[in-house]
Amino acid sequence: MTEIETLSFEEAMRELEATVGKLETGEASLDESIALYERGAKLREHCEKRLRDAEERVEKITLSASGQPSGTEPAEGL
Amino acid sequence: MTTALFFHPAAETHATPPGHPEQVARYGAVMAALEGLALDRREAPEVDLSDLLRCHPQSYLDRINDAVPAEGLRQLDEDTFLSPGSYQAALRATGGACAAVDAVLAGEVANAFVAMRPPGHHAERETPMGFCLFGTVAIAAKRALDHHGLDRVAVLDFDVHHGNGTQDLLWDEARALFVSSQQFPLWPGTGDTSEKGGHGQIVNIPLPPGSGGDVARPAWDAALSRLREFAPQLVIVSAGFDAHRDDPLAQLTWSEEDFVAITRAICAAAWSAGAPVVSCLEGGYDLGALARSVRAHVEVLMEAGE
Repeated sequence: MTEIETLSFEEAMRELEATVGKLETGEASLDESIALYERGAKLREHCEKRLRDAEERVEKITLSASGQPSGTEPAEGL
Repeated sequence: MTTALFFHPAAETHATPPGHPEQVARYGAVMAALEGLALDRREAPEVDLSDLLRCHPQSYLDRINDAVPAEGLRQLDEDTFLSPGSYQAALRATGGACAAVDAVLAGEVANAFVAMRPPGHHAERETPMGFCLFGTVAIAAKRALDHHGLDRVAVLDFDVHHGNGTQDLLWDEARALFVSSQQFPLWPGTGDTSEKGGHGQIVNIPLPPGSGGDVARPAWDAALSRLREFAPQLVIVSAGFDAHRDDPLAQLTWSEEDFVAITRAICAAAWSAGAPVVSCLEGGYDLGALARSVRAHVEVLMEAGE
């Protein structure tokens, strides 16, 4: 299996969806299910981290008193 | 009794760069708007050093004075500039506010408007900010408390930007109630309701961008009930007119009628407490809207002073 850390958000999401699909069909053995579940948890964690990293890069432009662009600050509400 | 107008041509010697909203022409626009009104016109004197030192340390005064350029302009931050006449203008702007306090407390006039610049409500204890050098209304309030021995002074700020400097200078002053309405969010970013002062004596009224007098008027009515409980002996107003719908620096949509209504409500609350009103010009950057709003504001002061 591919090292999770190297996956993009989209790749990790696709694999997570496939993993959940396998678990939901109930066809995997107990051992396989546990392995799939552990892999799925790691994929979910990785996706969340990628989202947080992206959020931190979304900033709003701040204006000075005279209305000139003066810098950026983290955007709220994400 | 009459309404006093404090002014001084030194207000025109504080220059800012071309295109800057806090421009020299604001003073002329305001003075022209007040022509023909039966006001007790008085030249704003230079402030006493002791009045400045209640709010700013000597080292800060020296720093500003030393930064004044012999010619041209010097930039202190993104927004705030000094020209050769700036220090004198600031001494007269703060001196005018203090003289207005003296005049109303002596009973010489019913109330007063101080038509000076630079504005003051963004200047913190050791930081010039947002076109402001000295904290004019806080300096005037401290003079009323410490020099005249009043026990309770209210400072009301309806400029569209938060009076962060006044809030800084009065944060620990239990004898001063400070109420400030502002567009929120907007520069300088402060002025949330959670900011209540060291003694719960600060009231912030954040107003959403795009909102008008229908939102601001009831908010001020509610805040003025707090003013009545406080029973001030003097009311000082930071009168900024940049909440006007035509103002280029913010997105509130007040009209002249809204400034009239809020000024009337302030005067009525002050009158019921037996407190005279001193109003000091802060912002307002569309010259036409500024002129019309100042005239309407001062006419209400005159009506209240009759």
